Amino acid sequence: MKRVVIGAHLGREDIEPLATAIAASDVFLSAILVADDQPLGDRELLIRVAKTRGLLLDRATFVAIRYGFSSLTDEEAVAKCAAHTRRWRDLLEKHRDQVEMTLKVAAVSPQKRPDRSGFTSGGDYLKALHAAREAAAVDDTFRDAAERLFPGAAKTRWLHRDASSIELAALVSRAAVESCFEAAADLKQHFAHVPFLLSGPWPLEVFADADDE
Amino acid sequence: MADDVEELALLETLDHLLDRGVVIAGEAVISIGDVDLLYLGLNIVLANVDAIIRTSK
Repeated sequence: MKRVVIGAHLGREDIEPLATAIAASDVFLSAILVADDQPLGDRELLIRVAKTRGLLLDRATFVAIRYGFSSLTDEEAVAKCAAHTRRWRDLLEKHRDQVEMTLKVAAVSPQKRPDRSGFTSGGDYLKALHAAREAAAVDDTFRDAAERLFPGAAKTRWLHRDASSIELAALVSRAAVESCFEAAADLKQHFAHVPFLLSGPWPLEVFADADDE
Repeated sequence: MADDVEELALLETLDHLLDRGVVIAGEAVISIGDVDLLYLGLNIVLANVDAIIRTSK
């Protein structure tokens, strides 16, 4: 059976029986088992993994591994993660009672995505893509108000992900999730003209990135 | 409106699944036919922004 790895957790009890637990040196990896020839792009599999991810987060905070990491054996999964497990354990011990929230905001002046066929150089195309993402902006007044949604956040970070929107990620305590949604509803009253979406809770995603440190 | 909200929740969930979290070296590029999932993920992000704007109106 193929293992589709979902995340890294502090304890086996955080995983079983919702998913298969794979013991690595410092953490336990969660995975679901699928047939060896199961394509990773299968819609049902994507939804199954997404649902399992949500159920696992209900149990305990974990480090999310981006979809697409699979292995044919436990040993292969452990070997590929070996360089990261110590850092993941430290992160989980530090943030075990925290989750991520994401505020996605439509850009005030969405940039046009560069057309690949207009570039002869792949490098130039990637630079244009990056420039379009970085140029996406939100209203400064809204930006200040958005940051006040997460008053007790351990960390916040604005992210440029595409040319149409900007995101604010925040690491908050689980107990603060409801109050974040209440504050977002209040924000909607004051900024009815700004399309935005607060979502969460999510596992450690943005703040599990080595670049974040 | 309820359908829009459900669609938005699903898009947001898939967006996080495909575009967030730790990337294990050498494991990021997977394909459905000729379309790699990173590209699919980007389309989900764009569709997601459309859905946010729609449900905000």
